[in-house]
Amino acid sequence: MRNALRMALTLLIIGAICGGLLSVVNGITAPIIKDRADQQFLQALEGFFPDVAKFEVQDINGEEFYSCYDAAGKFMGVVGKVKAKGYGGDIAYDLAVNDTGDIIGMRIGAHNETPGIGDVINKDPFLQKIIGLKFTDPISAGVDVDTTSGATVSTGGMISSIRRVMNVIGENFLGMEVEKAEIDLTKVADGTYTGKARGFKSDITVQVVVSGGKITQIEIVSHDDTPGISDNAIKGMIPKIIEAQSLEVDMVSGATLTSQGIVNAVFEALK
Amino acid sequence: MSTLAQEFSKGIFKENPIFRLLLGMCPTLAVSITAINGFGMGVAALFVLLGSNLVIAALRNFIPSKVRIPAYILIIATFVTIVDMVLNAFTPDLHKALGIFIPLIVVNCIILGRAEAFARKNSVARSVIDALGMGVGFTLSLTILGIIRELFGKGSIFGVGVMGSAFEPMGILATAPGAFITLGIMLGFVNFMFKRLGIE
Repeated sequence: MRNALRMALTLLIIGAICGGLLSVVNGITAPIIKDRADQQFLQALEGFFPDVAKFEVQDINGEEFYSCYDAAGKFMGVVGKVKAKGYGGDIAYDLAVNDTGDIIGMRIGAHNETPGIGDVINKDPFLQKIIGLKFTDPISAGVDVDTTSGATVSTGGMISSIRRVMNVIGENFLGMEVEKAEIDLTKVADGTYTGKARGFKSDITVQVVVSGGKITQIEIVSHDDTPGISDNAIKGMIPKIIEAQSLEVDMVSGATLTSQGIVNAVFEALK
Repeated sequence: MSTLAQEFSKGIFKENPIFRLLLGMCPTLAVSITAINGFGMGVAALFVLLGSNLVIAALRNFIPSKVRIPAYILIIATFVTIVDMVLNAFTPDLHKALGIFIPLIVVNCIILGRAEAFARKNSVARSVIDALGMGVGFTLSLTILGIIRELFGKGSIFGVGVMGSAFEPMGILATAPGAFITLGIMLGFVNFMFKRLGIE
């Protein structure tokens, strides 16, 4: 018994001393290691902002945004490490936006787009279309940025993701007003309205019935989105909008473009 | 009882951990791709060996023999973790090149072997000398292997090109089979020399 106690105590003492020693060493080395990691990241940011001297990380909905400052502490812009939905899954990319809301750089990271087809997103003609776009531009597929034919899913996914990221950056870092698809229903007279907005492949047309200041019915008149996928969006979005009496509703995952299209079409109908 | 000088030199020649005892083969084969990697690995192991031998010899009357192995592993793991953190902080390139083989020094049989076979039965001074000898022997052997593999596999020594542009590197020496081939040739050479010199 006394022996067992002695063994346990011996190990406990050795373990405690070792642990203490390690925490001391870690206290010395951890800041150095972190400094170097920051330094390496700073070099990556220099690709977008050559004068960057300091950055701050902010996590917004699971994506990291880096505010960049020059040596004098002046805000230069934001780099977002973000993801778009492509054809083969997520496309990781960095988007750099300067302090006036212009896209000054984009770097495509890991993606699984089809070589020779979807990987046009990482080639100059597409990158050139993106760089220089402003926060105030629509940044909408088919409106001011053309998708690449044969690779509409990859390029369309990128364009809608860039719009989303621009909204996040604009709202959180640049103090820009993001135009929200919100309707004041009390100002809408009773009646049946028709609206049209771009979905995943082409326009979605909806018919909205308003009575007594409430949306009572939404019907999809026509759409051209993928059967089986867009159905989920239609089934999911219509009750959500009617229940919330608002367009501020969550998208149906897996069919976000169709969902967004329905929201936009209802907005167009009622505005 | 052997003199301190003999205690030191045995680790380099008669009981060289790599060429005579064939201990610690896993890191030996894996990291001896270049001279600097071999040297770095050797020095990291030397530091751990020195620390663990010193502490274990100092505590040899304090640690109950039934729990000595967990106690040794605790002590060794502490030194290895310190080495890992220090290398990461001050020599990031070497840390990256050695990678997983730094934490794996914990289970390097040279270190536990010296603790079990030597430090727990000998004085602190002798244990430190033993650790220095073994550590230097390990470092030298790894560096020699690294020099050979780098020279013929990449045409350079310690990163400095020496073979000239006409030299066609023997790529196989930089790969795992090359490690076995080089080690085998070195073992043969060392055995031959020991026979020749009549040391056994």
